[in-house]
Amino acid sequence: MSNQSESPNPTSSSNKITLKTSDNEVFEVEEAVAMKFCTVKQYFDDENNNNVTSGTSTTLIPLPNVESHPLAILITYCKKHLEIKANNADNKKEMEIDMEHYEREFLKNVMPQELTELILAANYLNFKEALDFFCRAVASAIQNKSVEYVRKFFGLESDFKPGEEEKLREEFAWSFEGVDED
Amino acid sequence: MDMDPTVSTRREESDEAKAVNMLKVLPVDCIAKVLSLTTPADACRTSLVSTSFKSVAESNAVWDCFVPPESDYLFSNSSSSSPSSLPISSKKELFLHLCHHPLLIHDGKLSLSLEKKSGKKCYMLSPKDLIIVWIDTPAYWRWTSLPHTRFPEVAELIKVCWLEIRGRINTCILSPATLYAAYLVFKTTTGSYGFESQPIEVEVGLVGGEIHKQTVYLDAYGGRRLRYQIVPRRIGVFNRPLRRIPGLQAPQPQPKENEELNGPKYPKERVDGWLEIELGEFFNRSGKDNGELEMSVLEVNGGNWKGGLIVQGIEIRPKP
Repeated sequence: MSNQSESPNPTSSSNKITLKTSDNEVFEVEEAVAMKFCTVKQYFDDENNNNVTSGTSTTLIPLPNVESHPLAILITYCKKHLEIKANNADNKKEMEIDMEHYEREFLKNVMPQELTELILAANYLNFKEALDFFCRAVASAIQNKSVEYVRKFFGLESDFKPGEEEKLREEFAWSFEGVDED
Repeated sequence: MDMDPTVSTRREESDEAKAVNMLKVLPVDCIAKVLSLTTPADACRTSLVSTSFKSVAESNAVWDCFVPPESDYLFSNSSSSSPSSLPISSKKELFLHLCHHPLLIHDGKLSLSLEKKSGKKCYMLSPKDLIIVWIDTPAYWRWTSLPHTRFPEVAELIKVCWLEIRGRINTCILSPATLYAAYLVFKTTTGSYGFESQPIEVEVGLVGGEIHKQTVYLDAYGGRRLRYQIVPRRIGVFNRPLRRIPGLQAPQPQPKENEELNGPKYPKERVDGWLEIELGEFFNRSGKDNGELEMSVLEVNGGNWKGGLIVQGIEIRPKP
């Protein structure tokens, strides 16, 4: 296995870390995966600072703001991310192509509602690559779409005062040109 | 942390609690991040979604991603609320300002503006930023100031035989994944001559890479005349003064494929009253690659005198 530069500790990469979700499910993941979650990494670093003997991963890290469903998806995404990175360690372009391909396939199996959960989980775990990816996915889903479409997508209703919306529509008329049909 | 943050506090207003309401759960900074990954038109339009969405869609966090850092001083100036500063109180206003008011950068030699819907960058190289052959010879070219130009000085062609104008721009300052086109922005003076039916060679391409050449005409009225005359170029060839190099009577720069397909290219009038002629296209793949894009306008084969042209610059803007 290639050198995991993002691994904070020189410990062996076979170390496992246990994560416990808000719905009390327990996930055992490789250290390299867990270290992509900066919130977990931070927890780990703090632990290390407080307890020199730590390193054997018996620590159970509670994640009170993450449910098991999005965490399982994030772990899969993260593993694949690391795998693609390791496979193309010396070719950034190839890595980007593989990653793009994987992300395209990934999105085919994700419902819009799941994206919210995933953004929330990635945001809490401070998993930057995943957060960027999910935000990009939502951005492209609402790009060039009508106001009504975006409302439906986010499950929102207009709460403007009567006449207010029409006024804004007039003011921002330029941004309504060429919008996709719903 | 970061979990507080629902944008909306209007939960009580909807009777049936919705199963998923993204905005009620997504942190404000995530919504802002999403919107900053769309376009200015999307961010502007989505402010109609709801009042809470509007406050995110108009936030500086979103619009900061749409304005180039070079323009930041306009914003910080205005926050000092000095009476002379621009009335710009948000990044969104700054963005809209830059769509209509090009910003002079690089010692005033380059102007930067933004395309409203996409937020993509448009530039104009001033004549001071161009290589113009014979520019320092007052009999051939002179510097002049005109109203309604974005640069303090523009270049006026008195007369030359050898017309050569070149501009270069680093591709890293262009917007990524964007098809750009370059245009010569100019005017003809009342005494303009020598351009009628005179093919001009124009080129666009990366320095050291593939160059796309084509032939255009700078004759402002050519487009109109064309409707009445089918073969104006022939006539031009026969009328040419005998000063031309003997033996070069054959039609000069061969008509390029594009000319045969789309007909000869003549200048178009811009909304600002100037004329422009497209020099060619360039697809800027990534914003990181360092390359120099060269654009050029050449008429060095005909050998005839030509004059009466005012060059405002070369504009590079996204092609619709």
